Amino acid sequence: MKWTCVIVEDLQVAADYLAKCCEKSGLLQVKGHFTNVEEALDYLNKNSVDILFLDVEMPGATGFDLLDQLAYYPKVILTTSKSEYAYNAFEYNVTDFLKKPFTYQRFQEALNKLTTPAGENNISSTASDHIFIKCDGKLVRLNNDEILFIESMGDYVKFVTTDKKFITHNTIKNLEEKVNRQTFIKVHRSYIININKIDDIRENDLFIKGNEIPVSKAHKADVLKRLNII
Amino acid sequence: MSGANFSKKFIFNEKIDSDYLYSLYEDDYQYIEEIFQTTLAHFDEDYNSIRTAYESNNLLELKKAIHKIKPTFGFVGLPLVQHICKEFEDQCQRAGSSNDLKTEYQQIVTTLAASKDLIATEYNKLKEFNSNFL
Repeated sequence: MKWTCVIVEDLQVAADYLAKCCEKSGLLQVKGHFTNVEEALDYLNKNSVDILFLDVEMPGATGFDLLDQLAYYPKVILTTSKSEYAYNAFEYNVTDFLKKPFTYQRFQEALNKLTTPAGENNISSTASDHIFIKCDGKLVRLNNDEILFIESMGDYVKFVTTDKKFITHNTIKNLEEKVNRQTFIKVHRSYIININKIDDIRENDLFIKGNEIPVSKAHKADVLKRLNII
Repeated sequence: MSGANFSKKFIFNEKIDSDYLYSLYEDDYQYIEEIFQTTLAHFDEDYNSIRTAYESNNLLELKKAIHKIKPTFGFVGLPLVQHICKEFEDQCQRAGSSNDLKTEYQQIVTTLAASKDLIATEYNKLKEFNSNFL
């Protein structure tokens, strides 16, 4: 049985391409294509679908406005040409974020996430001096010594480096098993930090380059053990 | 989109990033023709939205119009033009009025018009190629 989906996209060539990808997958049945939020809402509030392919910027209301007004919540895959929306995407718990134009392979990866728990396939490498993260449709190398800390954002995590932030579909729990444990330590259910980057610790918080990070009671003793306190 | 084994038989204009196109559609020339056709069918409407917004000094609409047309160029193998649109979109965000963008606007409409001509030429070549060889 196929998943049902709807495409909400104002650019015809992008909608056609997406429909073609759906057809090629053999997994999806496209129930409709709408070029604006109002028409899409009208359909979606009368018909339930499994998956919503959703552009963000369209005439009138945005894709996020549609999600705010929807009476139920299908799996959502955002399709946009602006990577800046990745920061909003996590708030709406979207399954994936496809930057237009995307390859069919990237489309398949998005479909895989519909059935794969968050983060299961999103990180490669473990106890080396670097990791690769999937971000914005590509694998990005981050050296351990560039990473200041990793912060949970629901089904996403934010890797904060000295000059950049990267958001990827993953969880702190999953990362805890995969990052180099000599360099990184979990200090809170929402934070893994680079132990070499701590500037100071005060009570139940630590500071890394001006970022205040909570340290939970459960992890505080482990953190202190790892510091070279003289 | 036709399968893993393909040969790059059609010679695209050098301004078109053919590797990028093949990464999207493989050698499905008929589908590439469709993509070019759809792009051309909607081009003038989107292009005119940009002109109307600029001429009426409506920066918000100008930004929206350029945002909408932007990925079109990626779909037809012109990622550089997509990037130029992105830069113009960013400039719209920073500008106070259309006058602030006079030079950039002239450049972008020239680029868009030249891109349309290129897409149209490639579309006609592809159409002929497909009718002769497929």
